[in-house]
Amino acid sequence: MDVLHKILVAPFIDMVAAPDFFMQVLWEGLVSGVLYALIALGFVLIYKSSRIFNFAQGIMVVFAALTLVGLHEKGVPALLAVPLTLVVMFVLAVAIERVVLRPLVNQPDVILFMATIGITLFLIGFGEMIFGGENKVMITEQLMIPTGAFTFEPFGGFLLIEQKDLTAVVGAGILVLVLLVFLNRSKMGRAIRALGDDHQAALSVGISLSTIWVLVWFIAGIIALATGIVWGARAGVSFALEVIAFKALPVLMLGGLESVTGAIVGGLAIGVLEKLFEIYWGQPLMGGNTETWFAFVFALIILLFRPQGLFGEKIIERV
Amino acid sequence: MKYRVKTALLGAALGLGTILAVPLASAQESIYAPNLSYRTGPFAATGIPLMNGQRDYIMMLNERDGGVNGVKIDFDECETGYSTEKGVECYEKTKSKAVVTQPWSTGITLQVLPKTNVDKIPILAPGYGFSPMSDGKVFQWAFNPPASYWDGASMMLNHISGGDLDSLKGKKVALLHLDHPFGKEPIPLFETLAAKHGFEFLPIPVGLKEMQNQSSQWLQVRREKPDYVLMWGWGAMNAGAITEAIKTRYPMDQFIGIWWSGHDGDLQAVGEKGKGYKSISWSVPMNDAPVMADVKKYVVDAGKSLLDKPEDMDTVFYQRGLLISMILVEGIRSAQNEFDTKVVTAEQLRWGLENLKIDDARIAELGMTGMIAPFSTSCADHTGHSGAWMLEWDGTKFVTASDMLTADQSVIKPLEAAKAAEYATANAPWPVNEDCKM
Repeated sequence: MDVLHKILVAPFIDMVAAPDFFMQVLWEGLVSGVLYALIALGFVLIYKSSRIFNFAQGIMVVFAALTLVGLHEKGVPALLAVPLTLVVMFVLAVAIERVVLRPLVNQPDVILFMATIGITLFLIGFGEMIFGGENKVMITEQLMIPTGAFTFEPFGGFLLIEQKDLTAVVGAGILVLVLLVFLNRSKMGRAIRALGDDHQAALSVGISLSTIWVLVWFIAGIIALATGIVWGARAGVSFALEVIAFKALPVLMLGGLESVTGAIVGGLAIGVLEKLFEIYWGQPLMGGNTETWFAFVFALIILLFRPQGLFGEKIIERV
Repeated sequence: MKYRVKTALLGAALGLGTILAVPLASAQESIYAPNLSYRTGPFAATGIPLMNGQRDYIMMLNERDGGVNGVKIDFDECETGYSTEKGVECYEKTKSKAVVTQPWSTGITLQVLPKTNVDKIPILAPGYGFSPMSDGKVFQWAFNPPASYWDGASMMLNHISGGDLDSLKGKKVALLHLDHPFGKEPIPLFETLAAKHGFEFLPIPVGLKEMQNQSSQWLQVRREKPDYVLMWGWGAMNAGAITEAIKTRYPMDQFIGIWWSGHDGDLQAVGEKGKGYKSISWSVPMNDAPVMADVKKYVVDAGKSLLDKPEDMDTVFYQRGLLISMILVEGIRSAQNEFDTKVVTAEQLRWGLENLKIDDARIAELGMTGMIAPFSTSCADHTGHSGAWMLEWDGTKFVTASDMLTADQSVIKPLEAAKAAEYATANAPWPVNEDCKM
């Protein structure tokens, strides 16, 4: 009975008893969710256009952030370092298309997946050779990202919202909106979607596979840079950032690999729910650190009912 | 024709002889000491300065003195990326020639611990590994001088309680730790001391994937309001925790890290805001120590170091790396003297590590006065249980902020013996050195 009380009643009493703390938990969950959604978006875009699960998305985040900080360390002004980093990410996208993807056209999906593992290993070695493995400080202030905090006193309590987190949420929101408009309204965006639906049909109407692949890998590079800035501002830029890519896996399971909306909704849902579960159930009842598994279990439960994820395409294959 | 064939055969024989003889000669004239390093991966930022320090000390000795008693140390690195699986591979790869294994991770240490009994290679894990390894009767091949994690935990509590642990009664002490064998290592001692002295102990684990986003852990800190937060952090976890502590507005003077959570690079990320953060440390940076001048002269200025810039010598972790290699070299030197040989074997080095005498006079001879506290090891004590100091971040660098602290051995020793015996029973048949008197 006591256990049931701890699971079904006590957490909600805690939420009501300290509403300011509850609001802080929700905010932190929302910020985490935005960050997860950003990483997941990178995966979705590439999968949508080429059916490749891009294992290299995590290292692209590291590579983009290190390039930005590295350029600034070499004396390049921060605001110039951003477009220069984008140029580097564009060159990387062209190189990946020419050297890795083009020779593997028409190969099974697993071959392309393995190729992205190869890209990961290359970027780890190449990045360490150029930038070293030491932790670097993100140039948050130089990028004019505010570093202060807003404090509120809801219900006589205390709520703190860091300006850089707020900037991340707003910035990510704008990035997502631009992407949605681009994918749905522009000619190139529609070409990306067409390629994702049917390669051969898309090619037959004159859509260039190589151009689209360069484009999506470049967009994934832009997302990687945005993700790298946001995450790097929290705890520095190092190769440890690579592991955050794994946080996107349950988001993809939940949202579906082909859906931009799924990545956003899935990211936000997992961010908020895992935070609520950790604080109100995980820490008091299980000793904490439930965030390492909660999202996977949650996504698995959803998959039991919707195998294609919340927003994934239902594929009916006739035998 | 015959002459040509003969000449060719003779030439080939000589060539082959030379090829075979060169490595044979060099093998006889050097001591192979591999390091299971991690300059890559999520923990590289904290690994690199330590590995650089270790490497540069050995290189300085090879350059300045021609090695140890005239024998060069063949210092080799095998990259593990802090992965336990890769660490075990590195151990297997290097063990045939190695006189020592330096596993550099508590996880790897625990994995290779049983193997070293069979392979008869000493494990040298300065300031890390499994704390009960101190019990030399049970762990004949494992050494963790000069201080174990339990020593570190005890010294931290001594510091915050002003030497009277009973004064912590009714207070709450949180342990923010990496959810990894390293991070869990001090828990048995904290639990024992909490039960004995009546303070509340609250472990807060941080998963590997959560190292850079610890908002949940620090929300727990905000809710639980611990009087002190002690940290067993490594790699990106340190910078993540300090950033969150600042954000949560947790008082920095109530936040203390173990010696691996006191890396200059982690604190530089927060600068002034991290002022007051402390880290217990068995090593103290002494930029003007004579040994530093020699390392600079023979290695750094000679362009043989892997340091990015010479100023990186003035950091806690680089100088701790020098001390770690010093401990290995003193073990080798001790074995050379005892066995009257130059190229020591792994078994002879085991004796050397068991008979370390690092007193004040020896520390001065080594040009390391003030960098490390004196300690000695024995058959029964493979740690030495040296003292340590609190280092405090002043906004730009770590400075010494306490007199030398010591650990409470009256609690640690019985716990070490109990846990060592527990380990031996769980891994039976486990060889025990019955000749070793406790």
